[in-house]
Amino acid sequence: MNEVNCDDVLMAWMAESDGEEPMLAVQQISAHIKSCGNCRQEIEQMLRVDSLLKTQGRHQHVANLWPAVEKRLSSRIVPQLGWAPFGLFGAICVAYKLFEMLPEQAPGLAFKLVPLILIVGLFLVIKENPFRINAELIGER
Amino acid sequence: MDDSQAIRECQNGETSAFRILVERYQGQAVGHAVAILFNREDALDAVQEAFIDAFKAIDTFDRARAFYPWFYVLLRNRCYKMRTRNRETESIEDTEILAPQVGLPREERVALERALVSLPREDRELITLKYLDGLSYQELAEHLQIPKGTVMSRLFHVRKQLQKKLTGQFPLR
Repeated sequence: MNEVNCDDVLMAWMAESDGEEPMLAVQQISAHIKSCGNCRQEIEQMLRVDSLLKTQGRHQHVANLWPAVEKRLSSRIVPQLGWAPFGLFGAICVAYKLFEMLPEQAPGLAFKLVPLILIVGLFLVIKENPFRINAELIGER
Repeated sequence: MDDSQAIRECQNGETSAFRILVERYQGQAVGHAVAILFNREDALDAVQEAFIDAFKAIDTFDRARAFYPWFYVLLRNRCYKMRTRNRETESIEDTEILAPQVGLPREERVALERALVSLPREDRELITLKYLDGLSYQELAEHLQIPKGTVMSRLFHVRKQLQKKLTGQFPLR
């Protein structure tokens, strides 16, 4: 028969009493407890703490956070709306410069700017700020 | 309006729909933040920041999921990032984690709260979610972003720690 240590048995007993799947067979747990006075004593203590905790409830906190959250959200939305016109203005300036350069025999430089225009255009179309904070939050999980 | 509908409206740019979610979950969220930070002012700041984070990330939210467990992950990120202020008073006169219980002497409740407060934040979070919210191991794993096996072993060790702290404080019945 496999030897099991007391902590493993107690952990399995705890899982079972919480209605979860124990990591040891129920027979194995009860056989060990039956023969181990130390585990029986531990279980008695655990049951006391368990019954004390089970009678507790969480303190109900009253809060009204909406005014503050709304203020933060509206202050956040204003610069967001202001970003698109600047982007559009920048794109128009670049396009104008390219158009101006074409007759001056510098099409190579002009075409180097095409990918830049495409990227700016892409961000404008998908309306997605690449520096969004939620990327950092997702990364932490 | 249910959560899913409110979230859909938020995703369509309706900021006012977010109010429903804030008002529905703020009390619960403050309770959870207080259990981690043990300071109401810090908790209010953390919850506010978490709601802002939630609004920023609402486009990525999958409406098939429940809102609060998703929000809870953002909330605990905020709580653990915060530099906490000290409590103004040393004594725990007004308990902030536990609700008053009929039949439980006040000194026992204070002693239990003291024992909870003396635990490391992560342990206090785990044990309060388990007992005060009655979460299953699977739900604890989702809330805390840890494997179910880790929930089991951490819970076992926290209970033992709490047991040690409570022994001698008052007779456990």
